Amino acid sequence: MRPAGLSRDKRFEAEALPHLKALYGTAYRMTRNAHDAEDLVQETFLRAYRAFDGYTPGTNIRAWLHTILYRVRTDAFRRAGRSPQTVELDGDGPAVAAPQDALASGGEDLVRALDGLPEAFRTAVVLRDVQELTYEEIARVLGVPIGTVMSRIHRGRALMRAALGGRKP
Amino acid sequence: MSCDPERVTAYVDGALDAARYPELEAHLAACPECRAQAEAERELRARLKALPPPTPSAELEARVRASLRRRPRAATWLLPMAAGLVALLAWARGATPFVAWQLSRDHDHCFGQRRLPAQLWSGNPARVAEWFESRGTSVPVIPEAAGGLELVGGRYCPLLDRRVAHLYYSNGDHHLSLFLVPGPVRDVSRETRPRGNFVRLLRVGGTTVGLVSEEEEYVEAFRRALSTTVAWDLDRVDRVAR
Repeated sequence: MRPAGLSRDKRFEAEALPHLKALYGTAYRMTRNAHDAEDLVQETFLRAYRAFDGYTPGTNIRAWLHTILYRVRTDAFRRAGRSPQTVELDGDGPAVAAPQDALASGGEDLVRALDGLPEAFRTAVVLRDVQELTYEEIARVLGVPIGTVMSRIHRGRALMRAALGGRKP
Repeated sequence: MSCDPERVTAYVDGALDAARYPELEAHLAACPECRAQAEAERELRARLKALPPPTPSAELEARVRASLRRRPRAATWLLPMAAGLVALLAWARGATPFVAWQLSRDHDHCFGQRRLPAQLWSGNPARVAEWFESRGTSVPVIPEAAGGLELVGGRYCPLLDRRVAHLYYSNGDHHLSLFLVPGPVRDVSRETRPRGNFVRLLRVGGTTVGLVSEEEEYVEAFRRALSTTVAWDLDRVDRVAR
């Protein structure tokens, strides 16, 4: 249901803008630098504002905003003549069950392991584990089948566990 | 079932089909490796979720709000600019130099071909008028000949912005085009020489007539012939009005 009596601008401010920090979180993990992340978020909100009539009220607006964020990101790559890293590994990557003490270590290790992932895996992991989107929502955001989402999250986590586990003998 | 690490990931995320849970849970109970994977992924998820979120600069929200507000402002200056462009195009469309240039180009195009591309061959003005009028063009009284050039036929020619009736007058290598021009034409008083041809636009009985020839004397002969019948030259009307 569309709240009656609220102008389009006011609805956008009330519904979309509160997710600015969440979008910045994803943008920062994607770009790994604050400047690019802020530009990405600004462009995302501008496009979202223009496309706001296409948003179905009652659906997950954070997922919708992430769809636009991802499109802005891939468009930027297209303009630059390259594509985000979409490394697809054969098999599952190193099958390392990380020792519990490594997983319990400080956040710096964790961020380094996350940043070390190819962007396609990193984005999938962030959308799931940080933004807590469902597989279906992630599939819509990335424009890929659910099986690919599952595979990217799995490989992303496996690589992270390997990186974290690899630090300790 | 055998080990399926991707399915274990989906299980951890609660993304597995409900029907598959019992089978996978039975497998986990029996397989320490998959159990360890599930445990490690849960742990990793919890740690990622607990990471302090990156914080944007204090200005980001203000920048975003400002960029949203700029949008309608952009439209307010774009709109008059677009309207101005449309007005300019409409103005250019009716401007004598623009019309004259198009007629001159069409004259060269038709007479430049080895055989005149006529749709109708006739030296009879009444018959030519009837042919065009049956196709919706009103034709003023047109001469059978002037300055030694005779009517030979005609056709419809497409210009950039309109379709004109094109009447051919010829005598050997000497030619004149008489155009019946629909639509707006302003300031018909000026004589122009686009593309090296002599072009004269006249108002004849409510119709705009364009005369085009390589030679000035033919244009003048036809102008006289037209204005001594039912015609009046807007040039003169303008001058009298002034």
